[in-house]
Amino acid sequence: MTGMSLHKKLEENTGLLIFGILVVSAIGGLVQILPVLNQESLETPTGSTQPYSAVALTGRDIYIREGCSVCHTQQVRPLIAEVERYGPYSRSGEFVYDRPFLWGSKRTGPDLHRLAGKYSDDWHRVHLLDPRSVIPESIMPAYPWLEHAPASGVGDIQKKMQVLQRLGHPYTQEQIEAAPQQLEGLTELDALVTYLQQLGSAVSREEAP
Amino acid sequence: MADMPGDFWSGWIMVLTLVSAAVVGWLIWSVYFSPTPHEPEEELNEPVWDGDMREGNAPAPMWWFWLILGATVFSVGYLMLYPGLGSFSGMLNWSQDARVSNAYEHYQNQFQPVREEILATSLDDLQSSSGRMNTASRLFARECAACHGRDASGQLSMFPDLTDQEWQWGATAEQVEQTLRSGRRASMPAWSGVVEESQLEPLVDYVMAMDGSDSDQMPGRAVYMTYCVACHGAQGEGNVLFGAPSLRDDDWLYGGDRASVLASITAGRTGVMPAFNDRLNDAQIRLLVAWLTREQ
Ligand code: HEC
Ligand code: HEC
Ligand code: HEC
Repeated sequence: MTGMSLHKKLEENTGLLIFGILVVSAIGGLVQILPVLNQESLETPTGSTQPYSAVALTGRDIYIREGCSVCHTQQVRPLIAEVERYGPYSRSGEFVYDRPFLWGSKRTGPDLHRLAGKYSDDWHRVHLLDPRSVIPESIMPAYPWLEHAPASGVGDIQKKMQVLQRLGHPYTQEQIEAAPQQLEGLTELDALVTYLQQLGSAVSREEAP
Repeated sequence: MADMPGDFWSGWIMVLTLVSAAVVGWLIWSVYFSPTPHEPEEELNEPVWDGDMREGNAPAPMWWFWLILGATVFSVGYLMLYPGLGSFSGMLNWSQDARVSNAYEHYQNQFQPVREEILATSLDDLQSSSGRMNTASRLFARECAACHGRDASGQLSMFPDLTDQEWQWGATAEQVEQTLRSGRRASMPAWSGVVEESQLEPLVDYVMAMDGSDSDQMPGRAVYMTYCVACHGAQGEGNVLFGAPSLRDDDWLYGGDRASVLASITAGRTGVMPAFNDRLNDAQIRLLVAWLTREQ
């Protein structure tokens, strides 16, 4: 059989044509996606990567809600300039408990993946409430409402943890039970700062790049 | 180490990739170079317009063929040289990790002589070199200005002025270096509930008036000597070991008006200066120490 006669056969037989199209377009996925779904190393936490605490998880949801990833990435690329500026480049195993991951694609502000410990809690508070009070030329929006809203108002924390547990995050029953108590008395601002202060702390800076 | 798929999936990727490359090769070859069956035109089951116009079935132009051939040859070459075919890491042994590690090493080596020179230079000499001081000031703008302000004069009654002669944690080069390397966590306890309500006002009066002379007769001094002397000293001179600031001068970290001083005392203060040991190298720290302790 030659290509020409195959061509003719396909052209005259719609069922065969549809089948052929499906086969050809599946190849990319079969080669690229299927093996990755079965790659264990991508599900193995890097360094001291831990599931988020109840407070950090709430902070993360606030980060998503406020759209911080519109302006901030959480992904230090393996390039010398980025490693020098931010610290060790991001490892895939650091994101195993991120559902969904917040890598982002636009850097209006700096990358935040190696933020842990760069500033104090106090600085984060004043910066989030009014960025221009510490960085006069900042174009980051202010988030004054975070200071007044209670952290316990951001969805049902136990439900969230249970769902994540079902997806394979190793939360213990005690952790889930203690969650609402940990959020008590905290504001959304507290939770967000807790989340920011642990970003990227699973890989030690001394291992740079 | 490069992250490679396991054996089964590696074979899977190789077989699928090679088979589909081979099929593409066969397809274009046979489309272009197999003899066209010569059927009489009438027998071709296709429409005819305007008497003699037919759809025809000629292969695409030759430059297409060369384009596809070129792309196929390129991808085969690529898969031989670079990682891509399952767990085969390519003949060049290239990896993203090695690329950034090498670049990093090269970068470090490039600056090594300058860093060694800075570490071997005395602080005085660094301070009198305008080039070095410019570098230090840029470094400060990048790492420290977000808190201490562009001109290091402090911000918000929360991040201290570094240009005054008041040093909470000590003014010597060693003490400043310690501040930068390990950071500082000040801990001024909250006194509401400890100091009686009625004694707060006299205490604030005393702390605000403190200058060592007449103020010793003020009623607040007794309270001060009970609770505060351990850290702030008998004459309010402060103590660099605890980072307790001098209360004698007009320099206030957290504001010198009555309300601020009262707030400092009742609610406490816990200023945090982050540690820079992991973020800056020795030469950068030395430059900053020289810059901070220079005569201004
Ligand atoms: C309109 C874009 C924009 C949005 C939205 C935004 N930021 Fe920013 N952010 C910036 C810019 C620009 C800077 C740099 C100037 C500054 O520090 O204020 C910045 C700086 C920061 C920094 C300091 C980073 C560093 O390393 O110095 C943090 C932390 C931060 N943003 C957190 C957040 C959080 C949390 C949110 C969501 C609540 C957020 N940002 C939303 C633009 C944005
Ligand atoms: C355990 C040590 C300690 C004791 C005891 C202590 N302080 Fe302090 N105090 C500090 C430290 C440390 C700071 C600096 C806090 C900072 O930098 O965040 C401070 C800051 C202050 C300030 C703010 C100074 C400024 O420049 O804004 C005042 C006012 C003050 N203390 C008054 C008092 C009084 C009054 C008492 C007694 C009731 C007292 N302190 C007891 C350690 C102490
Ligand atoms: C997150 C904000 C922040 C950043 C960033 C920061 N500092 Fe500080 N720094 C502080 C605070 C707050 C204090 C006061 C700590 C206290 O209350 O005792 C301080 C104290 C200091 C002191 C001690 C002052 C004294 O009176 O003894 C020095 C020196 C200093 N910082 C230098 C630096 C340098 C140099 C950098 C940049 C490499 C820097 N800081 C970055 C917040 C910051």
